[in-house]
Order: sequence, then C-alpha cells, then structure tokens
Amino acid sequence: MRVRGEALPWTSDEQHQFYVINLEGRSPGFDVMMLDVIWVPEFARAGWLLDLTPRLPPDELAPYFPSTVEAATYGGRVWAIPWNMNVGLLYYRADLLAKYGLRPPQTWDELVAQTRTVRAGERDPRLDGYLFQGKQYEGMVVNVLEAFWASGTRLVAADGTVFPEPARAAEALAFLRGLIETGVSPAWTTAADEELSRRAFGDGHAVFLRNWPYAMDLFQAPGSPVRGRVGVAPLPGRAGGPRGAGSTGGAHLGVSRRSRHPELAVALARFLSSARAQKAMALGAALSPTRTALYDDPDLVRQRPGLPRLRALMLDGRPRPVTPYYLLLSATLQPEFSAALAGVKPAPRAIADGHARLEHFLEALR
Amino acid sequence: MTARGRGDRRLGLILLSPTLVALGALTAFPGLWVLWLSLQHRVPIFGVARFAGLDNYAFLAGDPRFWGAARTTALFTVGSVALELVLGVGVALALARQRRGRRLALALLLLAWAMPAVVTAKLFEWLYHPAAGLVNVLLGGRALNWLGDPALALPAVILADVWRAMPFVALLCYARLLAIPAELYEAAQVDGAGRLATLGRITLPLLARILLLALLFRTLDALRAFDIMFVLTGGGPAGTTETLTVYAYRGLFQMLQLGFGSAIGVVVFVLVMAVAWAYLRRGRGNAVAA
Repeated sequence: MRVRGEALPWTSDEQHQFYVINLEGRSPGFDVMMLDVIWVPEFARAGWLLDLTPRLPPDELAPYFPSTVEAATYGGRVWAIPWNMNVGLLYYRADLLAKYGLRPPQTWDELVAQTRTVRAGERDPRLDGYLFQGKQYEGMVVNVLEAFWASGTRLVAADGTVFPEPARAAEALAFLRGLIETGVSPAWTTAADEELSRRAFGDGHAVFLRNWPYAMDLFQAPGSPVRGRVGVAPLPGRAGGPRGAGSTGGAHLGVSRRSRHPELAVALARFLSSARAQKAMALGAALSPTRTALYDDPDLVRQRPGLPRLRALMLDGRPRPVTPYYLLLSATLQPEFSAALAGVKPAPRAIADGHARLEHFLEALR
Repeated sequence: MTARGRGDRRLGLILLSPTLVALGALTAFPGLWVLWLSLQHRVPIFGVARFAGLDNYAFLAGDPRFWGAARTTALFTVGSVALELVLGVGVALALARQRRGRRLALALLLLAWAMPAVVTAKLFEWLYHPAAGLVNVLLGGRALNWLGDPALALPAVILADVWRAMPFVALLCYARLLAIPAELYEAAQVDGAGRLATLGRITLPLLARILLLALLFRTLDALRAFDIMFVLTGGGPAGTTETLTVYAYRGLFQMLQLGFGSAIGVVVFVLVMAVAWAYLRRGRGNAVAA
C-alpha cells in the first residue's frame, strides 16, 4: 500500500474550512483525515465519516484515555481513533512557592491567596499572578469551560440543553472577570493567547499559568529563565466543589465515507495510532500519546521526564461538549464571553444574550 | 443600420462574448446564488435546506452583533481612509520635494504596501505586545493593553491598516505631483502666492481627481476589510473589531449557516455597490467640470 500525505493549512480554523469545502463538494480526495477533536461529532452527523464501530476489534479502544474515546463517540458509535492529545494544566513557579512555604493550590481561593503572598514578598511590579487565555478565540472558550466545570456546571447538559444552570455559568464567568479586576491576572489577559501567556511566564513574569503540555518542554529547554523552577498541577477547583479538570484537545484520525479503499484506510488509521507509531511521534514531534501505557515507556520517560506526571492529569481531563454544533456554540459565544472578561457586559447578561442567540440558530437545525 | 454596421456589431458581440460569459459565470451567477442562499435556512452538512423568505434579514435587523459589526465597519472605514488620505498626501508632498534618497524612500513605501496583510498583522501583534512591544516602550514603558482593551483595539487595528495602505495613496499622489508642470508653480511665484496659497490653489485642486480615485479604492477595500483584524484580534475583545466580513466568515465557515452568512454577504455587497455608485456619479460630475 502506498500512502500519499497531504499538507493541511496551518490553523485549526483554516483546516476546518478546507475539510468542509472538500467534503461538502464531494471530492473523494482523501481516505484518512486528521481531525481536531471538536469536529468529530459534526463530521459524523454530516455523514462524512465511516462508522468505525463494526471495524474495530472490541477491545481496541481500551488502552486509550477515556476522555479521548468520549470525544470520538457520537450517537453511541465510534467515528475516529484518538491520535494525540492535550490537556489544560496549571503551571506554577515551584521556586517561588517553596520560598514562601506554599504547596500547589487545590482551590481557586488558595491560588488567589498565594498570588497575594508571593507578590507581597517579591515586591516585583513586573511579576503577575495567574495568566490564562482571554483573547476572543477558541482558546478562551476552553478557559471558560474549565471555569464552568470547576463551578460544577457545564455548557451543554447530557440531554442537549444549553446552559442548564445559567446562574452558575454566570458566576464562573464573573469569577474569571474578577481575577482581572483584582489584578490577580493582568489587564492584557483579554488579548492573551497560549503563546503570549506562555512567553510571559517563561520569561519569569508570573507565578501561575494555565496552558497545554507543550509549554513544559520549552520551560525546561537550555537557556530558559525558568528552567528547573516550574511545576505542574491539575487546574484548581472551587472550595467545597468538584475537583478542577483540564479540557482535553488534540487530534483524531477519521476515515472518509467516500474512501474507495475503506478497509485499507481503517488499517492505516489503526497503524498510525498504534503504540509503535505514537511512540515515534512522541519522540520525534513531542506530541503526547493517547495511549495510557506509553506514559511509562522507559524510552519516552528518558527523553521527557514529565510524562508519568502528565498521565494522571490526562486521566482527569474532560472533553469539550461532544456535539455536532460545537463550532456554532463557540463562534456564537466568543464575543459574549470576551465582553464579560473585558468588563463591558455583566456576566449574567453575557450568558443570557449568548443563550438567546444560540437558541435562534439551534432552532433552525432541529 | 447598414449591412456593414450590422456585421461590425455582430463581430463586436462575438469578440465580447468570452468576456461576457466569463463575467456571467464568475460574477453574476455566484452573486445571484448568494442572494438565493440568503433567502433560505441552509446548513447543508446537517441537511437543513428550506425557504426562509426574509427571516435571515429580519434576524439581522434585530441582531446587536450585526449592528456592532456595521458600526465597527463604518468607524474602521472612515478612520483608516481619512488617515490614509491625509498622511498619503503629506508623504507625497514630502517625497516630491526630497532631493536625495528618493528611491530608497519609494522602496520603503512599497515594502509596506507589498507586504501581505497577514504579515503586517503579525508584525503589529509584536509592536502592540503589552510588555515588550515597541509601541509601549516608545510611550515610556506604559502598559497600554492595545489589543485587549475594547476602547483601544479598533484604533490599534486602524493604525496597522494605515501603515499598510497609506503608501498606496502616497504613490498615486506622488505620480500626479510629478506630472504638474513646473511653470504653474513659477507663475504662482511670480504672482506672489505664498506656500499655503500654492498648496490650496494649485497642488490640491490638481490632486483632486487622483484623490477621488484613491478614496474610492481605499473605501471599497476598507468596507470589505477582513485579514488584518482576523489575524490581529480575531474580532475581539468583546467583538469591538469584528467587521461585517469577519461576521460573515464566522457565519459561513464556522457556524456553517450558509443562508445567514450569505445574508451578511449580501448586505456588504449592497453597501459596496452603493458607495461605488455614489463615487462614480460624483466622479463623472467632476470630470465634466474639469
């Protein structure tokens, strides 16, 4: 079998556009597709993906992290194989916390209090507290979802209701705004994406950071100002509430329903996500595997000592809402969430306005 | 009409026909198709396709996000085009008087114009960096939140667009300035006209037509502005830099609401056509007067 690779556009938005145009236009171009996790239910619902359920051996998905399998499942069927993954993490300055006798925060109240302690002691006006992603884009939605989960609510309930508990959602959103208002997070959070916040923390200008696992390798690289001084922990929860959970991300492999060689395509997707292939990708491209066992693989751990720790964090990760309308949800809510974070709209109104708009669009789909 | 005349006419039509067919296929057909789409609830990937009449337009009429985008488009257009014209004329005048380094100055101007908007946007992303950005450093280490403050983001985007598009206006004006005969200025000098009088009575009136053209091009571009805000701010914060075309893109390619997205596209199209028509009418009047 000969496999021809095709380069995708660089950003997730453009990749999505590329797939939509090609698949809706019925060009039979590709057999196996790399899919952002959030597209799987949408593409399945559109009828573009081959149902893999009957084509995979029964225990095929057992070695994978449950949240990745959840993201690949829609309507009780499996539509894609998890290929690599991500999870939202709390990075902290281990040296600064140790200096003040602090342990990594388990609740948001602790994080806020620790920020105050460290900044009062350091007297460095350039030292920020907690950095997160608040720019108007998908990354911000991920941060808001994590705040929802920490407050014990969610964006989409199991029965498909959007904002099942609007008051709790508003409270979580207001909490994020409060971080900026009280200076725990800098004002420029409203323009921050992963890289902007990662660089500021990597230059030693913050105590805490929410980011993905890729940042760890960069913090530990030779010449990094924070090398050897960074720890990772799960995202905090709310006092007396559920434990915090990071959102998962990453890529799945799906097979086009129009593939002229479905059996071969499934075989290729299975090979690409096999332990051997994922190990090679983890070594060569620093992508995090979706198979739990690889996190204890001696070769991998030698090159990436943080892996065993990451395994527990990945296990706790939660997928974003697994719905065919995810992009509709996100694109509709982004300006509302951003308005709340920037302080131009009270959180309850942002939630109510976003909810009303969503209902309008969802109604046309039902 | 003579037989000869009819023959010429037929030949003319035959020669024109490839152009007409191409224009019809590439412009008229997609345009009408978008108009037709905008009258439907249409989400093809979910199999939704039903006639909606003016539903999409009715929703837009009461949609604060749409009006916000319309306002942003208007502010962006007026702000960026005005600055580009004023600065462009200034730069053209300076260039025309410059004795040395003119080629270098022209090359630098062209560089800004030739750069893809995406590259310009990335460049300005660094210039506006809250802590390490050159803009804040030049302002004496102020920590202005250029791209994250709802009041500053649109001006920041406008400045980036002015940096990119001003050279276009400057080069057009500069070319026109070179074509103004020196005798006119000598005559003005003989008549005792001062610098301001020369600028107001000779230079600017002679620039008027080319300026009108620059105004038309820049306004049409600004009304359809997309790439610079898409890369720089993604339309945020709080949607304050979301133009109509960015909103249309979100509707079409992310929300996959083809009918709804097309309705926004039709509004942009009508807006652009109305502005072009108004300019052309004025332009024709001017041409007669000149």
